[in-house]
Amino acid sequence: MNLSADSKVLLQGVMEPLGATYGPIMRACGTQVVAGVSPGYGGHCLGDIPIFDLVEQAIAAIGSIDTTVIFVEPYLALDAALEAITMGIRQLVIVTEGIPPLDMVQLLRVAEATETLVVGPNCPGIIIPGQLMLGTHPPEFYTPGCVGLISRSSSLTYEVALELSQAGLGQSISIGIGSDAIIGSSFPQWLQILDEDDRTEVIVLVGEVGGDGEEAAARYIAEAIDKPVVAYIAGRTVSIGKQASQSDTLMVMSQRLESKTGKTRAELGTAESKLAALKHARIPTARRPSEIPALVKKALKSLEKQSEPV
Amino acid sequence: MELLEYQAKALFSEIGIPILPSQRIDNPRDLKGLKIPYPVVLKSQVRTGGRGKAGGVRFVANTIDAVAAAQTIFHLPILGEYPDVILAEAKYDAEREFYLAVMLSRSVSRPVLLGSQHGGLRVEAAADEIQQVVVEYDFSPFYARRLAIKMGLTGTLIETVSDIVEKMFHLFVTYDLDLVEINPLAVSVNGGLMALDGKVTVNDDALERHPHLINLLSGGHGSPLDMPKRESPFKLKALQPNGQIAVVCSGSGLTMATLDLLSQHGAESACCLTLGRSVPTALSNTDVIPTQGSTTSTSLNTTLTNGSSPLTELGVNPPDPGSSHPAIPVPMPLVMTNVVNQLVEHLRQSILDILQSGDYRYITVVLVNILGSVITSQDVVQAIADLCNSNGFKTNGAHTGRTTKFVIRWASSQPPEVKAELQIQLGDLPIYLVDDLDEAVTKTIALAQPLTDL
Repeated sequence: MNLSADSKVLLQGVMEPLGATYGPIMRACGTQVVAGVSPGYGGHCLGDIPIFDLVEQAIAAIGSIDTTVIFVEPYLALDAALEAITMGIRQLVIVTEGIPPLDMVQLLRVAEATETLVVGPNCPGIIIPGQLMLGTHPPEFYTPGCVGLISRSSSLTYEVALELSQAGLGQSISIGIGSDAIIGSSFPQWLQILDEDDRTEVIVLVGEVGGDGEEAAARYIAEAIDKPVVAYIAGRTVSIGKQASQSDTLMVMSQRLESKTGKTRAELGTAESKLAALKHARIPTARRPSEIPALVKKALKSLEKQSEPV
Repeated sequence: MELLEYQAKALFSEIGIPILPSQRIDNPRDLKGLKIPYPVVLKSQVRTGGRGKAGGVRFVANTIDAVAAAQTIFHLPILGEYPDVILAEAKYDAEREFYLAVMLSRSVSRPVLLGSQHGGLRVEAAADEIQQVVVEYDFSPFYARRLAIKMGLTGTLIETVSDIVEKMFHLFVTYDLDLVEINPLAVSVNGGLMALDGKVTVNDDALERHPHLINLLSGGHGSPLDMPKRESPFKLKALQPNGQIAVVCSGSGLTMATLDLLSQHGAESACCLTLGRSVPTALSNTDVIPTQGSTTSTSLNTTLTNGSSPLTELGVNPPDPGSSHPAIPVPMPLVMTNVVNQLVEHLRQSILDILQSGDYRYITVVLVNILGSVITSQDVVQAIADLCNSNGFKTNGAHTGRTTKFVIRWASSQPPEVKAELQIQLGDLPIYLVDDLDEAVTKTIALAQPLTDL
């Protein structure tokens, strides 16, 4: 994986409103945005960014590309992603919202077969403060540091970053994995990456109700993650109701499965279920965003103590 | 979006999943022209569950009973939902009832096939018996066969049941469905199969690319399809009718977090307005106007290319095939002023709509917490100030005798003098700028005094 200030970045859908707005912002953050692709706009420039009709033309002109950030509209995004993978790009950040889940299933089959990293869709992407920004993170809320942030949401991630920055706790990297039903990379995958990342000392996990991602994350942290993790779950006081792809029968079935396999009796996808899973894995959990910095400081202190000579 | 049973069965019929002869009844009178021989079953067409127990399914043996039963059913709400349509269906003698479903599993990011021999009303009690097959790679009939065998089927049923599962899967991928469920799949003494009930849910994001489904969903009701509105980037959700607080946030995660904070203090929110992706889905000609934008973050420093007309209107000529990369600049500002203006206008209007709506009569405070690059805190202040100064702004005086107040969470990298200056400029408008989210929440609650304090 190559995520650094040197990464060469392509923007697909650069002439979509979101692409055209954030392309220049990404560039201003230090990202090496080397080209854009938007069929029909080939030959033009967005500021300094040359635009091509095909990914292969961009590669022919610029050379190899490490990462693409996709802003292409929902029903054309799968095609854009497949084009990128076919041309050898192995890191995709998909910002687009509203991609049909079955398109994502198709994409994931190809991504897994080619070992391509996919982030998103419907996410703010990745920011390494001071080095690069891939997506829509507002750089003004971030500052460089040692806290790694993994989140399902967009604005809530910025809120947490703001709290941390204001408390003097800068961020090593912040990843929005998206909150759609089918996403390219999961909490466990990114926990693993941050566990191995030299810049990151503490990890903050920002979750929300719906799905079982946080429960899976809690289990993974207990089993495989060495660095301290602090969590926050949004939606404690919100009722989630039935998920889209469930009937009453399937809801009952998934509850039965969960209470059989997990220690929790709480309904899958609820805040109770996630909080119980985090508690079981002994992961300190904040009750509100403003409590996160204190928990992070505590974790950093105990890291210091651990490394003190006996 | 969930299809009604008769719509789901229309899809089944198209693809060859066996269904009973049936007729759509919009009015009890329609039963006089019933083409199905008695006895028939009359079924309430609603999306809510439990219609059988609630009396929404009735067997009738003649026209008089049928008309009476239909009248009853049309006036019978099932969990609050009244049917617009009743389905009249032939009766079927089932020896056994199976359960079959195809759905998308979030945990494994793949479609899964589900089945059980314990279908019908017993299925929930026997939920442990439901078998599952994950469709790991591209679909092939053997996946359906695996399910049939896992279900414990033998002989000809293996093929006939897996054939139905294949057809369900085909519908699933053809129409971007979230769920296809047949419960019960009736099995006759001879091994014949019949889908007695069907449930189909279409993925909301994908619906627009299926004109056939849109047609099916809106056909014959007279009322237009209730599609999620995409024009406004703001989504409104009702919470507690007597709530005095309205919450406006960017992103569903932040909305939930803000609502959580209010709840933790015991406050009741009437509704929440969430800003989705803060840029419209299509660039119109008027959007492409170069300017510095209404605010610029001091840390950003980009060169702007100036041009003064949208590409299309200019009729900008394509470059010479020979030249390598002529820098015909696409005029594009750092932050498109028109986009920001549109959003500010949507924000103002959406809040005004809430305040003027009869559904939220007790709102006395609006808490706004919007974080992002495109629409900044200053833009928000502008929107609210415009709102307060507009003619359309009504106080909620009728019910509470007090003016609606606004707490705006100020999240900006601008120096503190900017906020202080702005607060002064706002004068005696009921707008409060607060840096810290926790403080914004407590301020909001303090401003929303209990009604008994009047």
